[in-house]
Amino acid sequence: MTLVGVGALALAGAVGIGAPAWAHYSRANAHAARVLNVRDEGRLHYVRTSGELIIDEGHATGTFPGWVRVRFLYNGEPTVGARFTIYGSGGSISARGTARLSSPTSPSPSFKGTLTITGGSGRYAHVHGGGQLFGVYYRRSYALIVQAIGKIPY
Amino acid sequence: MRKRCGHAVSRAGAALALLSALVLAAGATSAADASQTARLTAKFTPEKLGAPTALSLGVDISSAGGGLPSALTAIDFHYPPGLAFATSSLGLATCTQARLEAEGPSGCPANSRMGGGSAIVEFPLGPETREETAHIAMVAGPSPDGYLHVLIYANGEEPVYGQIVMSAVLLHGHLQFTVPLVPSLPGSPDVAVVQLRVTIGGNLTYEERIRGRTVTFRPKGIGLPRRCPRGGFRFAATFSFLDGSLAPAQTTVGCPRKQRR
Repeated sequence: MTLVGVGALALAGAVGIGAPAWAHYSRANAHAARVLNVRDEGRLHYVRTSGELIIDEGHATGTFPGWVRVRFLYNGEPTVGARFTIYGSGGSISARGTARLSSPTSPSPSFKGTLTITGGSGRYAHVHGGGQLFGVYYRRSYALIVQAIGKIPY
Repeated sequence: MRKRCGHAVSRAGAALALLSALVLAAGATSAADASQTARLTAKFTPEKLGAPTALSLGVDISSAGGGLPSALTAIDFHYPPGLAFATSSLGLATCTQARLEAEGPSGCPANSRMGGGSAIVEFPLGPETREETAHIAMVAGPSPDGYLHVLIYANGEEPVYGQIVMSAVLLHGHLQFTVPLVPSLPGSPDVAVVQLRVTIGGNLTYEERIRGRTVTFRPKGIGLPRRCPRGGFRFAATFSFLDGSLAPAQTTVGCPRKQRR
């Protein structure tokens, strides 16, 4: 999920909006290939549930650190859904993703899928992009580990 | 060792022979009638929005003609959207059908148990209809297709000794059960299910290892949404029978009253 943030911030750096610590790397990388390679991970804890919806929050680490809030939907179908927002310095970015659970009867099924940025605020108001989504869902505690790896064109 | 036939149906040979003789002597009674009616009940314990709960279901099946109902072959059970079967902590381990058939629920991991209950079945014995109560255990089965699977083990001991294993798959908003036929006596109709009472969740004890020690805990039950659906929680089921007929049934669990602070 933090992939979204990474992509957004890198994109912002590329067009000269703001100047986070890693913007130089992103800008250089972006100019070279017009694609941003991103990798981030969030370890999220359970906040509350409402029926099939689980809400988790936690820190994201990696290229774009921030605070992530996820609405994770699992209704028994092999595909799970997630809507999330990452709050970083300078604004927030929202995205949605879908992923397929590999072994739903495991105590901690893993999932793999794709994500798409749906919008943002502040300096990320016009960000767009997407990537791949990986993660683990802990059925006992409702915690989530989410990893995002991708290439974001701009 | 238990004998098995088809879907894990076992019989005590001596009892069967005796029952067969009784039937042959008295003549088999009523075959299944052409149509059946079904009644469905549902209850949450506790009834608290936004909290995990146990779901108790009751089914009563009767023949429209008053005789024995036809044998049940399938149940398509629909539950209201937002009811969180999949995100419960029930079934953190799985049990294979082969293991369940061979060893019963006690041979399955404690963390695979999802609930239990009882069933009343009827079958003809001479001029009479006999009744038998079977105990039911529900365990999580392996998932070969990405969906959650539930195995239901029914064990009856008197007057006919037998076990069956049913399988169910959890789809979004509904559970589909396949019910194997349970032969009663040679030349007689299959055993007819007339009543089911099952609870999913409830008083279950799971185990986990924490720092080398085994610790027990109560798994979270089925999550209720924070908002009640308009008109309450509506459940519906369609029961399929061997004679080709279908019997629909539905029920509604009213919205829990808001608790005063």
